[in-house]
Amino acid sequence: MATPVSVLRLPKGPDPNSRGFDPNSPRFIALCRTSISASAASEADAEELQREQHARSVLRESFLRCLLSMNNKKVQFHMHENVKVDATFGASDIDVLNFQVSNLHTPIGVQKEALIRSQDVISFTFDL
Amino acid sequence: MLCGWSLLGPLQWIRYVHKQVRVKAGKDEELCGWLLTVDPVSASLVLMDFREEGTLMQVVMGHAVEEVQVLQEADKETADRLRSSFLPLRTCSLDPDELRRRRGIIQNWLEQNRIPVVEEADELRVAGVLTIRAPYGPEDCCSSNQIILDRIQRLIQNQPPPHAETDPEHRPILSNSTV
Repeated sequence: MATPVSVLRLPKGPDPNSRGFDPNSPRFIALCRTSISASAASEADAEELQREQHARSVLRESFLRCLLSMNNKKVQFHMHENVKVDATFGASDIDVLNFQVSNLHTPIGVQKEALIRSQDVISFTFDL
Repeated sequence: MLCGWSLLGPLQWIRYVHKQVRVKAGKDEELCGWLLTVDPVSASLVLMDFREEGTLMQVVMGHAVEEVQVLQEADKETADRLRSSFLPLRTCSLDPDELRRRRGIIQNWLEQNRIPVVEEADELRVAGVLTIRAPYGPEDCCSSNQIILDRIQRLIQNQPPPHAETDPEHRPILSNSTV
């Protein structure tokens, strides 16, 4: 009798709230685990958790407002190996894994639209 | 991928906020500025550098951070500047009558579009999952469901100007001009 072959499953698609891929899928764990879970101390203590969640929301709101203000601004990305590229900032996904940019000035020419993996970026700057 | 900085957590990061910091990132990058915020999802830092020719914003990705060092605390002026830099513009303070009028218009418009809406104190509650606060613009909607939020915001944006049909003063002018 032939031995059964395990079925390779694709990761679950984004959930209906469009919060990205299923966080328990192997693909997500391997590639995109950037979300930082609650600390061990706060898991035990409800009051601590509340304080942590408040701090988290304050920080995140301010970051999101900053992202909003970045829209359509000229941004310079500093990447590994001292590579610096200019582009017009479009958007970021919620996990801050990719940035969507326009008119990316690469050393070999201008790319009209591009996605930049945040893993490749060290920092980026822009003028307010 | 996760270094010390990324593992600190919101309660530790918030201690660095509104302080001048020096960040070492990647192999040999060093950045200085006032820390505006830390993204709790990616641990990225947002630094502001106030210069004469304008404000330079620097975002350092959390995964690249090697070391964060506090240089100094903000004085009152800098702290105010940091606090007010990305706040939504809330200059309008409308009187209660005007707010009631606006609330009525929005409620009407949503009901016209067959969207269940109830009044709760001075807030409007849509289908139990979204609230609209004063002054009832698209930016005043609050919901954890992005899809509903987007739809309602768009609906409010597409609202026809209120005086087009409700303001009786406009009608005579129209009829006069046609005579």
